[in-house]
Amino acid sequence: MNNINDLKSLELTVGDVFSKNARLKARNVNVFYGNNKAIDNVTIDIGSKEVISFIGPSGCGKSTFLRCFNRMNDTIDTCLVQGEITIDDENIYDKKIDVVPLRARIGMVFQKPNPFPKSIYDNVAYGPRIHGLSENKEHLDVIVEESLKRAGLWQEVSDRLESPGTGLSGGQQQRLCIARAIAVSPEVILMDEPCSALDPIATARIEDLIHELGNDYSIVIVTHSMQQAARVSKRTAYFHLGKLIEVGKTKEIFTRPQHHQTEAYISGKIG
Amino acid sequence: MTHYYGVYSLLASLLPALGIFFIFTICDDLIFAELIKKHIPKEVVASKDYNFTIVLAQINNSVEGLIFGTPPQWVTNAAEIWISWIHKSQIITVIICISTALISGFLGYKKISGNFRSRNAVEKIVMSILAVSSVIAILTTIAIIFSVVFESIRFFALIPYDEFLFGTVWNPQFEGAERAGSGQEGLSQYGAIPLFAGTFLISIIALCVSVPVGLFSAIYLSEYATSKERAFFKPLLEILAGIPTVVYGFFAALTVAPFLRSSGSLFGLDVASESALAAGLVMGIMIIPFISSLSDDVINAVPQSLRDAGYGLGSTKNETVIKIVLPAALPGVVASIILAVSRAVGETMIVVMAAGLAANLTANPLDAVTTVTSQIVTILVGDQEFESAKTLSAFALALTLIIITLGMNFYALHVVKKYREQYE
Repeated sequence: MNNINDLKSLELTVGDVFSKNARLKARNVNVFYGNNKAIDNVTIDIGSKEVISFIGPSGCGKSTFLRCFNRMNDTIDTCLVQGEITIDDENIYDKKIDVVPLRARIGMVFQKPNPFPKSIYDNVAYGPRIHGLSENKEHLDVIVEESLKRAGLWQEVSDRLESPGTGLSGGQQQRLCIARAIAVSPEVILMDEPCSALDPIATARIEDLIHELGNDYSIVIVTHSMQQAARVSKRTAYFHLGKLIEVGKTKEIFTRPQHHQTEAYISGKIG
Repeated sequence: MTHYYGVYSLLASLLPALGIFFIFTICDDLIFAELIKKHIPKEVVASKDYNFTIVLAQINNSVEGLIFGTPPQWVTNAAEIWISWIHKSQIITVIICISTALISGFLGYKKISGNFRSRNAVEKIVMSILAVSSVIAILTTIAIIFSVVFESIRFFALIPYDEFLFGTVWNPQFEGAERAGSGQEGLSQYGAIPLFAGTFLISIIALCVSVPVGLFSAIYLSEYATSKERAFFKPLLEILAGIPTVVYGFFAALTVAPFLRSSGSLFGLDVASESALAAGLVMGIMIIPFISSLSDDVINAVPQSLRDAGYGLGSTKNETVIKIVLPAALPGVVASIILAVSRAVGETMIVVMAAGLAANLTANPLDAVTTVTSQIVTILVGDQEFESAKTLSAFALALTLIIITLGMNFYALHVVKKYREQYE
């Protein structure tokens, strides 16, 4: 947070890493897998109610960095995270922080739709149940209905809430996973290539949804598709070999990239 | 690819010769038995006690030098003829085998040319060897089942099946014993219910031990242990599966049973020295590795993405295991338990040594009970009269046991298969 550190990362990253109403702040984050440095000194702000996309070639560390925000990297034994990440100025890597409520505040949607082998209702109700968010059955029903409505799935499944979530189509499953994530009313939603396993029509639906959800949540989306990044996000961050190369308004990144590596990726020379 | 020509000619010369050798060694006794009929005197054949199987056994005994008393002259003569046939057939076999090998090898060799696709030919030969091997395994299973079925049919000709299946008293006696005491008809009773009740009592005790211990250790190994701990503990646990069951039997009879008896007397309980509890506890230890190893596999097969989803929603490890991983793995866990039950039901050595032979119909685990397998052992061990209902009852018991365990295995495999489809 001090100026020297900020300057150090500015040497690496081109563009505007800071945000006026930042919700998540990452400062000089390094991530190691054993002796491998996967993320090298990354500093970035993620604004409140902002949709930001992380792009970059495979293996550039964008997913790894995403998973730092809800400490999912904790589940990997060899993974070590250095630096500071704060949510509302609270360090999430502080020893006093409990990851359980943290992960309720920062939801996650994964690459492959991964509904639990339970009913649609139980999938959405899972989070509220373990966090004790509902006072009674009626309240839980309301939460489930509200979440499914916001995920744009209610109309399709309202008459079969008790049928298994795994029986839905791929796109419906992914919207179910989004509904499941928003059922615990998170502040931030992390999406790790949420459309890479879906067909174009299902992808378009999810993208519309991300657009709508962007009005209420901060959303970080990792994507391989530059078109998708251009469609859904206001800001874009370009990663290369574990370094954050450039951050800026999506329009500008795609039309006037400042860094030559960003330009090479955008124009299809690397990636 | 040239070496395939060599492989082909080797196979071409060896296989027919080996085949003929096996056919000759299997068939010569049958052929000799047919031929020897001519050398049995007519008056012997005409006599009313004549039984060809017994005569053949007499001749065979003489051939092998096992002479009891003084056999009739014609038996000795027949045996000499038999021996001369053996010598001849050995020579003939060798000659035919070698010449077959030479001829077929020569034919195979002649086939070899630039145009001959030896790779494909070898492929076909290898495939048929593999196919024959699997057919042998299947045929053996079928043969075992049929041998039990036919003896069981003979048993059910003597004892009605409803008495066997629904009778509550198991008290087999030899025909001789029944005949000796006149008016004691109906002394023998072949009600199999006490045996199956004993089997299931012991199996249930075994499951009470092995299901919690096996399942919990599987959860620990697959979810909590580091990869180093896992690499150390899993093989250790599987060593339990490698201990011969007779050793478990010692343990049950010499360590566990006396311990139960003495600690029971502390509380004023009368524990039989051979109790269902002792056998069941030890059997439970024996089947722990079945449950832990199979459950560990199915728990590992639950996709990591489901765990991630759970953690991503803020579940603790315990919540993830109980609410997500176990329900997802449940069908596989159930299948592993069913397989363990069928193993427990068929287990013999421990119950023979520790459970006793008294066919009590009881649900008290402190009593002595007997099981289907230990009865089969007691009935068939030692000299037995083969025609009696007592001996044949062993086959009927075995048949029922086979049906039960096959059914359970079949059901378990079905469950596992259904479970696999869910994630693939």
